[in-house]
Amino acid sequence: MTITIPLLLIALPLAGSPLAYLAGRAARSPFLARWTARLILLMTWIPWILLMRESQTAHTVNPFFTLQDLTLSIDGLSLLISGVTLALATLVAFYSGAYIKGEEGEEKYYALLLSLTGAIIGLGCAVDLLNLWLWFEAMTVSTLFLVAFYRKEQASLEAGVKYLVQSAAGSALILLGIALVFGTTGTLSLPDLPGILANNPNKLVLMASGALFITGFGIKAALVPLHTWLPDAHAQAPSGISAMLSGVVIEAGLIALLRVLLPLAFLSGIWGPILLGAGALNMLLGNLLALRQTQVKRMLAFSSLAHIGYMLLGIGAAMAFLQPAAMSGAFFHLITHMLMKGLAFLAVGALLHALFLSRGHHAHLTVADLNGAATRYPLAAGCLATALLALGGLPPLAGFMSKWQIFLGAAQTLNPWILGLVVFAALNSVLSLAYYAPVVNAMYRKEPSDAVREGNPVAFSMAAPLAVMAILVILLGVVPTLAAPLSTAAADVFAALGVTNGMVP
Amino acid sequence: MILDPLILVTAGVCLLAGVGLYGLLASRNLIKLIVAMQILTKAAVLALVAAGAASGRINLSQSLAITVIVVDTVVAAVGLALGVQVRKRFGSLDAANLASLRR
Repeated sequence: MTITIPLLLIALPLAGSPLAYLAGRAARSPFLARWTARLILLMTWIPWILLMRESQTAHTVNPFFTLQDLTLSIDGLSLLISGVTLALATLVAFYSGAYIKGEEGEEKYYALLLSLTGAIIGLGCAVDLLNLWLWFEAMTVSTLFLVAFYRKEQASLEAGVKYLVQSAAGSALILLGIALVFGTTGTLSLPDLPGILANNPNKLVLMASGALFITGFGIKAALVPLHTWLPDAHAQAPSGISAMLSGVVIEAGLIALLRVLLPLAFLSGIWGPILLGAGALNMLLGNLLALRQTQVKRMLAFSSLAHIGYMLLGIGAAMAFLQPAAMSGAFFHLITHMLMKGLAFLAVGALLHALFLSRGHHAHLTVADLNGAATRYPLAAGCLATALLALGGLPPLAGFMSKWQIFLGAAQTLNPWILGLVVFAALNSVLSLAYYAPVVNAMYRKEPSDAVREGNPVAFSMAAPLAVMAILVILLGVVPTLAAPLSTAAADVFAALGVTNGMVP
Repeated sequence: MILDPLILVTAGVCLLAGVGLYGLLASRNLIKLIVAMQILTKAAVLALVAAGAASGRINLSQSLAITVIVVDTVVAAVGLALGVQVRKRFGSLDAANLASLRR
């Protein structure tokens, strides 16, 4: 097997993971681990950029690893998820330098961050059922360690156990679904599946496998009745990992779900409406539950549910009515959500670190602790405010543009149900301001709290990634076409499948 | 009457999955939870082997089964490591203690 550029994209972070750990261990200081991780992540950008340039000249699905049914390939979807993951992981690696400094097991943190990145990139490239499951499990194991990273805190362990039990149940359900597909069609390869499905007598069995996939992947993508692990895990993980979980990991679950559902769409048109229903539930419950939170990180975690709901609206409308515009809107929202929610979690983390962690206690950051934060921490508070207002969908920030594209794409279906859902989503977006705005208000208009007065300053290495992301959030809001190559290339994967195989709605 | 082996295996899968799911929902001890997870995954492994036999690709399905068992063991090991930490910090393995985080 020769080493090719796409292989490097996966292999670099995966090979770098033990390297960072060993470097940290051998040098007896986390300095080496930290910089190994950062350099490896920066190096991984080289194959990604090369692949991106290549994909713009030739629009072909390009398998780079095959072994019987097992295939890894590069297409628009894998470029999207790997680009988003790399961007956030690089920023988090630089941010975490000051955040995680002095904690026990720093070198493990960086090693796991790299393996998490590698696993998600692999998941993006997987186009057969077994690979999908394997990378999914690799992602789960890496995140499990990171969620329970503060292993001396009871709350972190509790979040870890909840995450473990639910993920394990989900992965067993996915395996059962794989067995059903494999048993009835005799293949694991997803691109081969539509042709085989066309005249398959076992329709009922395959529908059951689709239901198992929705439940199994839905746990990781936090579809609403299956979301209970999410707020605990997001709130208890170190802030850099909260950003990764919310910005990339749940979206990776969504991408995996999409990969298996697209071939099954040749069987039945029911998947689109199911995703739309789940999306509506996610928006409503996510926003309502976020309203009553007093801890800022928990509030952000619940708002992730709502944002998954907006993406599901786009994806569901696209699948139900063959409307690629809604799909590319959803993918654009995936990109902007990574930036906005990543920025929000990192900014909250910077404040949490300055107010509590650096002073040696693991407390939860409540909205009241943030009172008057803008006076002492203008940059962190400004970044948090930018992120929250963007998440709430205020123009001219990125969140407005991406929600607008989803609504516009979905409205093009001209179906009264979808139009109703779009209005519902827009109202939800307004509702979400009811919990974003008080945080901004507390930071800018209230008298500084005791915690803010006594807090330590925010380190430069934490402030710099915040500033970069805030600039990107504003830039994508003003020039949304910057992200178009990524989001439309990913939607093309769907469009190509639909057109060449004559999928019926 | 000769029973079709595939039906027998399917019944086995259902039985194992049922036991696993019941254990996952009913037990409060962390070790028992991990055992239940293992049983549930073993149901899926049996289903994979049966699927290979049904579709005539037994070689592929056997290698799948071994891969899945390896990965599953990793997850179980991680779960047990988490259990060790829980026992250290909480003083018991009772999952009912793990309910301080509420909505």
